[in-house]
Amino acid sequence: MSTTVNRPRWTRQLAGLIRKDLRLELRTKETVMAMVLFAIVTLTIMQFGFGTRDDDLTRFTGGLMWVTLAFTAVLGVGRSYVAEREQRVLDGILVSPVPRVVLLAAKAIAIVIYMAITELVVIPLVGIFFVKGPYWDSIGWIALVALIANVCIALSGTLFSGLALFTRARDLILPVLFLPALVPVVIAGAGATHAVVGGAHDMSEYRGYCLFLVGYAILFLLVCIATYDAVFDD
Amino acid sequence: MPSLTTDPASRRVTGARAALIWGVIATVLVTVASVGVFLFAPEDADQGVIQRIFYFHVAIALVSLVAFAVACVAGILYLRTRKVRWDDVSVTAVRIGLLFSVLVIITGSIWAKASWGTWWVWADPRLVTYLIVVLIYAAYFVLRSSVDDDRRLRYSAIYAVAGFVSVPLSFYSVRIAQSFVHPVVFTRGGANMPGSMLIWFLISLAAMLALFIALLEVELVGRRTERALRALTLRLESS
Repeated sequence: MSTTVNRPRWTRQLAGLIRKDLRLELRTKETVMAMVLFAIVTLTIMQFGFGTRDDDLTRFTGGLMWVTLAFTAVLGVGRSYVAEREQRVLDGILVSPVPRVVLLAAKAIAIVIYMAITELVVIPLVGIFFVKGPYWDSIGWIALVALIANVCIALSGTLFSGLALFTRARDLILPVLFLPALVPVVIAGAGATHAVVGGAHDMSEYRGYCLFLVGYAILFLLVCIATYDAVFDD
Repeated sequence: MPSLTTDPASRRVTGARAALIWGVIATVLVTVASVGVFLFAPEDADQGVIQRIFYFHVAIALVSLVAFAVACVAGILYLRTRKVRWDDVSVTAVRIGLLFSVLVIITGSIWAKASWGTWWVWADPRLVTYLIVVLIYAAYFVLRSSVDDDRRLRYSAIYAVAGFVSVPLSFYSVRIAQSFVHPVVFTRGGANMPGSMLIWFLISLAAMLALFIALLEVELVGRRTERALRALTLRLESS
């Protein structure tokens, strides 16, 4: 007697895993809320760290925004496997016939969504806090580069958080692994923001940074696809 | 009692002869390069004697990239075959590459102080890139020391691959973001230096490459010896 196992299509598996992460987040509101608050606190500290409150920080806007987003990303990425680890959900996922790359994609998409929600607050706040000059007409360009950078952050972050998951002192390990890899994203994000903020509209420079981020995302996507099976090969 | 002469663990460790040969080659080449660079290479009309650091600074920088490439390839081979010897090669190559990268920063800082009057120049894309590279590969050892057994080897291999991908990304991002102050010697048109300088640079490069291979071989022999000793101890204890 033969039994037929109906394995769900990968798109259904992916949708299911994303739905699980988002539903959990909607119920607890732990990760996104913490990320938004953390970003606001960091921006506030940055303002005081730069000196007198009357200074025009327009030319530092890109750096302020992307350093804040990088640290916030570490926080969000660090939380991405908490439920799987603490409630042994990961064991269930790993024994189910879900390809590892689908797990990677689901985590990465969830991180992109968390980062996008955080940026909905951070990007306008940066304009209010730091920019004395034209800003709001460039907000679409900033949002676009943020979206591309989110994919970079999500891909490298998913890989490194997977590596940090079973390490000792994992909360310390993740920033040490993840932040150096984020340096190019911060450089390109800050550069692209700087190219369009404060009346500057250097679109060729902006395009160059965006293309660089696309290249970063493609390279890390390839690394993730090539190595992600080995991360959970227990 | 087990016979030590028939025990595989007690046999001569493979690679010892290669380590010795590469050690001799590296010693000869480093001596020839040092003598040549300081006594025979022409002095740069603009920078004077400090320019001679270039022969070692650039050679070490190039060989450190070779070391990280070796670590990446060995990491891929470990993930495919799960043979411990590829992990040995990968971790040793990262260790030597990291050491060479620190030397790049130190020699670069000395050169920066002499040329531009300051120990650190953020507008120099290569120096800044090597700082990021050191941070990336220092994290390799933090990761390695915080996991055990099979995971240690697997995670190290994955990180060696991801780290190597980060190197050109860091270099390119730093390069597009800043105006350059670093002298560009090698362009698409070829080497921007006279033949008498190029020959000593190539000898320095060969010397650093031989030094890398010698260090790699010596460390690999050390790791194999340690493993063989551990196996022998276990055998003796269990008998």
